[in-house]
This record gives sequence, structure tokens and C-alpha cells, in this order.
Amino acid sequence: MPRSVWKGPFVDAYVLKKAEAARESGRNEVIKIWSRRSTILPQFVGLTFGVYNGQKHIPVNVSEDMIGQKFGEYSPTRTYHGHAADKKAKRK
Amino acid sequence: MPQPSDLICVGAIAGAYGVRGDVRLKSFCAVPEDITAYAPLTDESGTRSFDLELTGTIASGFAARIAGVTTKEAADALRGLRLYAPRDRLPSLPDDEFYHADLIGLDVHDTGGARLGRVTAVQNHGASDLLEIDTGTGRATVLLPFTLAVVPTVDLSARRIVADPPEGLF
Repeated sequence: MPRSVWKGPFVDAYVLKKAEAARESGRNEVIKIWSRRSTILPQFVGLTFGVYNGQKHIPVNVSEDMIGQKFGEYSPTRTYHGHAADKKAKRK
Repeated sequence: MPQPSDLICVGAIAGAYGVRGDVRLKSFCAVPEDITAYAPLTDESGTRSFDLELTGTIASGFAARIAGVTTKEAADALRGLRLYAPRDRLPSLPDDEFYHADLIGLDVHDTGGARLGRVTAVQNHGASDLLEIDTGTGRATVLLPFTLAVVPTVDLSARRIVADPPEGLF
């Protein structure tokens, strides 16, 4: 059953505090969080979070199309590198 | 003949397929079918050449026919062989787009010129591309967002990346 709309999206309170502090300071920093369950909110767009995957903090640059998803979705706990072959990386 | 350092692994042969000399082919390309666009492929040393043609799609990749391989025994003998394409056969890319193979191995320096490490892999977990950097200190690798703000300069000819990492990464 989906979460009731009247409750609003779930976010751990400390994530909101850290994000607000980072935005006010204007510094270029990675906001380290352990809360993989928190929902990505519109006010997080443009910030970089370091989302813990049980081993280390994976940098996650929040963009508009990530709103509504959970931080944990962008910080996999298992990684498979595969082969480089003709794969491309785009600098945004 | 291409030098081994100019070769990029684009696939591997997993064994024979059927009894007519076809092989099971694993493609490592971003678009798996593109492996034929880089043919003829070579082995790791660049001495043997393989002209291949895809004959079908199977569960583990593709069924393919290699010119000159007509028996199951010959196809089985190729099991485990990795297939390489010369780097110059990959199409050129627009600005701010790079092949993983070109980025891996580049030295990373900060804006002050201090060496931060070397790129060992490029990852993407859905947010943005990440450069995995080995700092050479024996500690865990560091992931650097591959964005214009964090990585302002990529100099492929000098094999060097200039990064302005956010606080708390290194």
C-alpha cells in the first residue's frame, strides 16, 4: 500500500538540517548522509550528497528528475565494474 | 598492426554454439550489437584477426559466425578468447563526452597542481558519472563526480585531469 498523501514525503530530519546548512553556507561540499530511506525533495536540487552504501559515501548530484525518489536508489551496495569497451561518460 | 596498448576489449567468446562452427559471443559494448561495427577484431596481442557476423540473439549474448571457423571443435578452441578493437576505430565524440577507456589511467591533479591520484574506473549509478580515483595511499578509492564544476579540465593528450573536488571527498 502506498504512503498516505496527507503525511507528505518522508525525510529524516537531520538530512533537512544538513541540506539547509549547506545551502546557506554556499560552500562546495559533499553532505554526508546515512539515510538511504529519505525522499529527495525539490530543495535538494543542485546539492551533492554523499550517500552511505554500507562501505563508503557515494557522491550523488541531485537533479530535478530525481525528485520523489529515495537517496538509496543512487548508492548501490553492490557494484560490478564490467568492461570499459565503447562506453561513454558525459560531463554535465 | 595495432599495438596492444591501443586495443580496447569489446567482447569475448564463451564457447561453441551448435555444431556448425558458430560461437557464443558476449558483447561488452554500450549497445551490444555495435560489436560488429568494430570488426575485424583481434586477440590481445593483435596478431590474430577475426571477422565476425551475428547470426542470432541467445540468452547469454549473440550467436556469431567467424570467418574461417567451420567446425564445433574450432569454435570450442576459441572459448575464453577476448576480442579487441583498435581505439581509433571508435567514432569521435562531441565535446564533454569521453570514452571510459580514454579516462581510465589519467592522472588527477587539483587546481593547485598537487597530484590526487589516478582514474581506475568510471561508474554511473543513475545520478551522474563518477570517476573512481586510486589515491595510491592504500586507502579506499575516492569517487569524484564527473561534472564541469568538479572536473573543469580533461587533457587527453597530456593524460591529465584537473579537478576541483568538493570539501570532504579527499
